Amino acid sequence: MIRALNGVSLSVNEGEVLGLLGPNGSGKSTLMKIVVGILKPDRGDVEVFGTSVAKNPQTVKRMVGFVPESPRLYEFLTGIEYLDFVADVHDLDPAAKHERITEFLRALDLEGRESELIHGYSQGMKQKLAIIAALLHRPKILVLDEPLNALDPRSARIVKDLIHKLRDDGIPTVFSTHVLEIADAICDRIVIMYEGKVLEEGTSEQLKSKAGSQGSTLEDVFLKLTGTSDVREIVEALSR
Amino acid sequence: MKPRAIYKLAVVLTKSQLRGYQRSRLTSRIFGDPKIVLALDIALIAGLGALSHVVVSTILPDTVQRSVREIEVEALAGIPAALTFAVILFGVVAEISQSIQSMSTDLVNWLPISPIEYVSGSILSLSYTYSFMLSFFLGLALGPAILFGMVAVWLGAGFMAILSLLIGACVIEMLRAITNRITSSFYRKSGRSGIFARLLITIVVLVFIQLLFSGRIIVFLLQSVIQTAKAAWFVPAVWPSLAVLSVSQGSIAGLLLFGSLSIVFLLVLFGLAVNFRDRFWVPVPISVKLTAQAYRPLARHNLSPIMDTAELAIFRKDLRSLTRRREMARYLAIPFVVMASLGISLVPLSGSSLPEGPGFFATIPLYLIPIATICGIISMTSIGQEGYAVWQLYTAPLNARQLLKPKLLVTMLIGIGFTVGLAVVLGLFLKIVVDHFLVLFILGMAVVLEESALGLYFGARFPDFRETIRSRYVTIWGSLIGMLLGIVLTILTASPVLLSILVRPSATSQSAVIAFAIGLIVFSTSWKLAQRQAKRLLENIRI
Repeated sequence: MIRALNGVSLSVNEGEVLGLLGPNGSGKSTLMKIVVGILKPDRGDVEVFGTSVAKNPQTVKRMVGFVPESPRLYEFLTGIEYLDFVADVHDLDPAAKHERITEFLRALDLEGRESELIHGYSQGMKQKLAIIAALLHRPKILVLDEPLNALDPRSARIVKDLIHKLRDDGIPTVFSTHVLEIADAICDRIVIMYEGKVLEEGTSEQLKSKAGSQGSTLEDVFLKLTGTSDVREIVEALSR
Repeated sequence: MKPRAIYKLAVVLTKSQLRGYQRSRLTSRIFGDPKIVLALDIALIAGLGALSHVVVSTILPDTVQRSVREIEVEALAGIPAALTFAVILFGVVAEISQSIQSMSTDLVNWLPISPIEYVSGSILSLSYTYSFMLSFFLGLALGPAILFGMVAVWLGAGFMAILSLLIGACVIEMLRAITNRITSSFYRKSGRSGIFARLLITIVVLVFIQLLFSGRIIVFLLQSVIQTAKAAWFVPAVWPSLAVLSVSQGSIAGLLLFGSLSIVFLLVLFGLAVNFRDRFWVPVPISVKLTAQAYRPLARHNLSPIMDTAELAIFRKDLRSLTRRREMARYLAIPFVVMASLGISLVPLSGSSLPEGPGFFATIPLYLIPIATICGIISMTSIGQEGYAVWQLYTAPLNARQLLKPKLLVTMLIGIGFTVGLAVVLGLFLKIVVDHFLVLFILGMAVVLEESALGLYFGARFPDFRETIRSRYVTIWGSLIGMLLGIVLTILTASPVLLSILVRPSATSQSAVIAFAIGLIVFSTSWKLAQRQAKRLLENIRI
C-alpha cells in the first residue's frame, strides 16, 4: 500500500501565505483536497478556524475558496452562467453577486467574453474563471493548487497582488507551486514535501541557510532535500 | 506518404476507439489489441460459416433449403451495400455520442503527419473497428455459398464488402472533418439557436436511425433495395453490389465495369476526405456567444418550498447540460425514439388497417417498461454525467439532499412529459377508454416517482465520472443491477392493477390507488437510500 500522506502536521496562521513545494506525487494535491473536505483521510483531521473538516465539511466549504490543479469546468455553460451557478451554490445575495462577478471579470480581462461558452475559452481564461469562482463568496481561507498555471503575466501579477492584499486583510492562503521563484516571492513560509512527508518548513531565508553554502537559492535547497540534485548528469545524458 | 506512420496511427486510433468502449481489464486487453480483433474476425467468419453450413445442410427442410439457395445470390450482393449503410449509421451515432472534450486531435496535430497519412490511418482504423460486421455477414453467407457451389461469388462479395467498408469509412471521415469546422462556424454565428438546432437534429437523426433498425422497416427496405438495385445502377453506393451480381451471372464485362467504378468511387471519396482534412486540419475551439445582453442576475426566486437557491442553480445547470452537450442529447432522444418506435409498430406500413390492439393487460407493460427505462437511465446517469467537473459540487457547501433533489426533479420533469406523450400515443393508436387511460396515467406517475429515486441511488452508488469516447456515467454492474431491479419494482407496483384485471375488472380504478401507494413506498425508501449514498459519495472525491 502506498501512503499519499504520512504523518503530516501543519498549521497556517491568519494573514499568512503558506507555500507547498514538492516534486510530482509528493502529496501536495492530496493534502489540499483533505483541507477542503473532498477527500477523507484514513486518520487524523483538519481544522479550519476551529471547525473540524471531518465533522462539519459543509461549514468548512463555506469558508474555503479552492482552485484545483488544471480545473475542469462546466464547458457547456457560458462564463457568466458558470459564475452565476457558483454564486448561487454559495447562496450569495443577487446584488452582491452582480457586483463581485462584474468586478472580477473586469479585473481579470474577461469582460466581453463572459457570454461565450467556456468550451471556447483558452486554458488561461478557464484558470481565471476558476480563480474568480474561488473568490466569489469571500472565503476566509484560500487553497490554491498551482493557481498561476497558464496565466498571462498581467493576470498572474493580479492574482499574486490579490493574494498579498488578502493576506493583509488577514486571509490565509495555502499555495502549491512547482515554480520556486514564485514560492520565494509570494510565500511567507514554505513547506517542502516529498513522498507524502514534510521534509522541511520555514521561511525562504531559513530554508536557504539550511542549504549550507552561502548564496544558496531555494532551488538548491529543494534539490538537496528531495534528493534530486543529480540533474547535471541527467541533462548531460539527454543532450548526448 | 509513410506507410509505417499510417499503420502506427491506424493502430493507435483503433485502440483508442476500442478501449473507449471496453472497461474491464480482460475485455480491454482482448478488444484493445488489433491483432486479436483480426484473429476474432477470421474466427467469426469460419465459425459462422461452419454453423450456417451445418444448419442449412442438415437441419433445414428441403423446401427451406431451396429458398435459401434462391436468395443466396441476392444476400451476397446485398452485403456490400448493407455494410456501407451500417458503417455510416454506426459512425454517425458514434460521432453524435462523443463529447467534444474527447474529440481533441491536438496530439495528432503536433506530430509530423500529413492529411493524407491521417485520413489513410483513420479510414483503416474505422474499417477495422467495424470489421466485425463484415465478418458477421460474410460468415453467415459462407456456409450456403459452399453448399450451393457459390464460393467464387462469395469471394467477390468479400472483396467488394471490403471496398464498401472503406467507402463507408471515407464518408465518416468526411463528416468528421465537416462537423469539426463548418458546424462550429454555424454555432458561432447563430449562438443559442444553433445549439437548439443541433439538439433537434441530433434527436431527429437518432429517431431516424432507430426506426431504420426496427425489424419491420429493415425488411421493407431490404426488399426494396434488392428489387431496385439493378434499376438504381447510377447510384455509386450500389456499384459494389452490382459487381457481385455480375460475378454470379458470369458477366466479366459487368464485373469489370462495376468493380472499376467502385474503386474509382472509393478513390474519389478518399480524395475528398483528404481535401476536407487538409482544409479543416486544425480544429479551432468553438467560441459561441449565447447572448449579447449585459449580465443581470435573477432576483431571489419564490420556489423555496420546492428548491432553494443552490438546488435551483444545479437544476438549471443540469437542464443546460442535457440540451447543450451533444453526448447528452441521446438521453433526451430516448423518449422520442420509444414513442416513434411504438407508433410505427402499431401502425401498418401499408396503411391499410390498424392491427388489433392488445388488451388492457398487455398495454400496461407496454406503457410502463419504457417509462421505467427512461427515468432509470436519466436518473442513474445524472451524477456520473458531471464528469471531471464534479469537483465543483464536492467543494460547494452542499448536503446530499441539495445535490440529489434537482437531479430528481430534472428526471421527473422529463419522465412526466414522456408519460403524458406515451399515454397520448397509446391512447390514439389503441383507442383506450377514459377509465383505463386514467389508470395508466396513475401507474405511469408512480413509476416515474419510484424509478427516478431508485436511479439516483444507483447513480450515487456506482458513478462513473470518467470522460471517454462514449462515457457511460454509471458502471456496467450498477446499470445492470439498477435496470433489473427497476423493472422488477415496476412490475411489483403494477401488480395490483394486473391482478385486478384478471380477477376483478370492476375494481381496476381502486387497485390503481393501491399501486400508487406502493410506488410512493418504493420512492420514499429509494430516496432515503439515495441520500445516504450521496452523503458517502460527497466524502471522497472519485476523480
